[in-house]
Amino acid sequence: MLRYALRRGGWTVVQLAVLSVVVFLLTDLLPGDAATVDFNEQAGLDQVAQLREQMGLDRPAAERFADWAHGLLTGDLGTSLVGGGPVSGVLARSVTATAALAAVTLLLLVPLAVVIGLVTGLRAGSRTDRVVSAVTLTLTSVPDFVLALLLVALFSLRLGWLPSTWVGADDLWWQRPELFVLPVAVLLARTVCVLSRQIRAGTLTSLNAGYTVQARRLGVPPVRLVLRHLLPNAAVPGVQELARTGDHLLGGVLVVEAVFAVPGTATALVEAVQNRDVPTVQALTLTLAAVACLLNLAADLVSRRLAPRTEVLR
Amino acid sequence: MSGRRYRRTATGALLLAPPCAAALIGPFVTDSPIPSEGMPYARGDGHVLGTDALGRDVLALVLRGGASALGVACAAVALAFVVGAAIGLTAAASRSRWLDDLLMRPVELLLPLPSLLVISVVGVGWRGHPVAVALAVAALNVPAVARLLRAAAMDAAGGPVAEAMRLQGESAARVLIGHVGRAVLPVAAADAGTRLGSAVFTVAAANFLGLGLDPTSPDWGVVIAASREALFVQPWAVCAPALMLVMFTVGVNLLADGLLPRGDGRGETTRGKEQAWNR
Repeated sequence: MLRYALRRGGWTVVQLAVLSVVVFLLTDLLPGDAATVDFNEQAGLDQVAQLREQMGLDRPAAERFADWAHGLLTGDLGTSLVGGGPVSGVLARSVTATAALAAVTLLLLVPLAVVIGLVTGLRAGSRTDRVVSAVTLTLTSVPDFVLALLLVALFSLRLGWLPSTWVGADDLWWQRPELFVLPVAVLLARTVCVLSRQIRAGTLTSLNAGYTVQARRLGVPPVRLVLRHLLPNAAVPGVQELARTGDHLLGGVLVVEAVFAVPGTATALVEAVQNRDVPTVQALTLTLAAVACLLNLAADLVSRRLAPRTEVLR
Repeated sequence: MSGRRYRRTATGALLLAPPCAAALIGPFVTDSPIPSEGMPYARGDGHVLGTDALGRDVLALVLRGGASALGVACAAVALAFVVGAAIGLTAAASRSRWLDDLLMRPVELLLPLPSLLVISVVGVGWRGHPVAVALAVAALNVPAVARLLRAAAMDAAGGPVAEAMRLQGESAARVLIGHVGRAVLPVAAADAGTRLGSAVFTVAAANFLGLGLDPTSPDWGVVIAASREALFVQPWAVCAPALMLVMFTVGVNLLADGLLPRGDGRGETTRGKEQAWNR
C-alpha cells in the first residue's frame, strides 16, 4: 500500500509539472494580449508596444515561463494585468464561492446516490428499479442550462419562493442559504443520476460475484453482507466517478455560475480570458488542474483501500 | 434481444428521428438567413410555433439550427474515437511495455486538464468558430476514449483467440483490426452514445453562454439563450429547441443502452457488468 501510494504520489507531481507547461502554452496561444485588449482601437501601435514592454509581454516565451515557474514555486502567483492587484486575491475570492457550492452539493450527493444506487441495484429489474432508472436516464439527458431556466421560471418568477440570482448578495452570500437552493438543485440533478447509475452497476456486478454467493452460502446475514462485502466493492466505480464529479463541480459549473450570476471560478476564468489577463488565467486553471489531480490521487488511494486486488495489470 | 430491450431500442430510434430529420433535411427546406418578417414574440399569426425576439419563425429556426447543434458534436465525437481508438488499440496490442507507456502516459497527463479552460480559450480566442469548437471537444474526449478502449481491448488482445491467430502467422494488423477491433466494437458503440450526448451538451452550453456562434445564428443553444427572457410570453421559442436537444440525448442514451452486450446469456442480471465500462 505504501509503495503504491508513493508511486502514485510521485506520478501526480510529474503530472502537475507537465500540466503547468501545457497551461502556459495554451494561454500563450490566445490571440491578442492584455496590451491590445486594454487599449482597443484608440491607441497607437507604439503605445501598445510600450504597454507590452511594461507588462513584460515582449520577452521570449521560455524566459516568461521560467519567471512564472519560479514565482509559482516560491508561492508568488504574480499580479493581475487588469486590476493590478495580486492574483491570489482574485483566486481566494472566486474559489470560496465555488468551493461552498461544491461542498454543499457533495454533502447531499453522496448519501443520495449511494441509497438510490443500492436500492435499484439490489432490486434490479423490479418496478422500483425500472421507474427510478427511467427517471435518472431522462434527467441525465436534460441539458443543465435548460433545467436551470425551467427551475428559475417556476420557483423564482412564477411562485416567487427563491431568489434567481446572486447579484446584490456580494460578500454576504454565505449568510443567505436560500441562494444555494436552485444552483445546488441544478448541480445535483445530473450528478446524482450519473453517480447512482455507477453504484447500481457496481452493486449488480458484486451481487453476482463468487464471493457474495459464497458469503450467502455461509449464512452471512443480509445487512452485514450488503454493508461489509457488497458496498466496498460496489463503491469502487462510484469513488472514481465521485472524483470526476468533484473535479467537475469545481471547474465545470460555468453554466450554473452564469445563469445564477455566482461570483465563482468559472465566471472569473471566462472574464480573465476575455481580458487576456494571463497571470489570472494561469493561476486559476493551474489551481483547478491541481485540485483535479489531487482528487484523482485520493480516489485511486481510496479505491485501492476498498478493493485491494485492483492491481495495475501488466 | 429480449422484448424490453427491443422496446428500448425502438423508443430510442423513435426519439432520435425528429432531431435528426430536422438536422439533415431542415437546411434544405428553409432560407439561409431566416427572414425576420413577423412581430417579435408573436404567437400563431401564420407561424405554427410563433416567432422569436427578431420576428423570425421559430419552426424555421428549429429546422435550421439542428445542423450546427448536432453536426459539431457528431464530428467531434467521431474525431475523438478515430484518434482515441488508434492510441488505445495500439497500446493494448503492443507486446512491449514501454510502447504502451509511451502512448498512454501522455494521454493520462491530459486527463485533469479543465475542460472549461479549453472551451473558453477556444470560444473567446477564435470567436467560437465551429471547427475550433469541434476540435476542442474532440481533444477533451480523446484521453477518456483511449483509456476505455485500451482497457476493453486488453482482454481480447491477450486472449486465446488472438494468441491462436498469431500462432497461425496472421499479420499484426489483421489480429488488431479483425479480432481486437471487432471485440471492442459494442463497448465503443455504447460509449460513443453517451459521449455524443454529453458532447451535444457541451457544444450547446458553449453556444448558450455566448462562447460559441454569434447571437443571431439559428443554433438551438443560441436560440434558447436569446429567447429565455420571454419564457412566459412565447414558451415555444425556448421549449421547441430545448425539446429537440432532450429528445436527441434521451434517444442516444437509450440506443447506447440497447447496444451494450448482455454477455453470457444470464440476461438482466449481468447488466451491471458491462455498464461499469460505460463512462
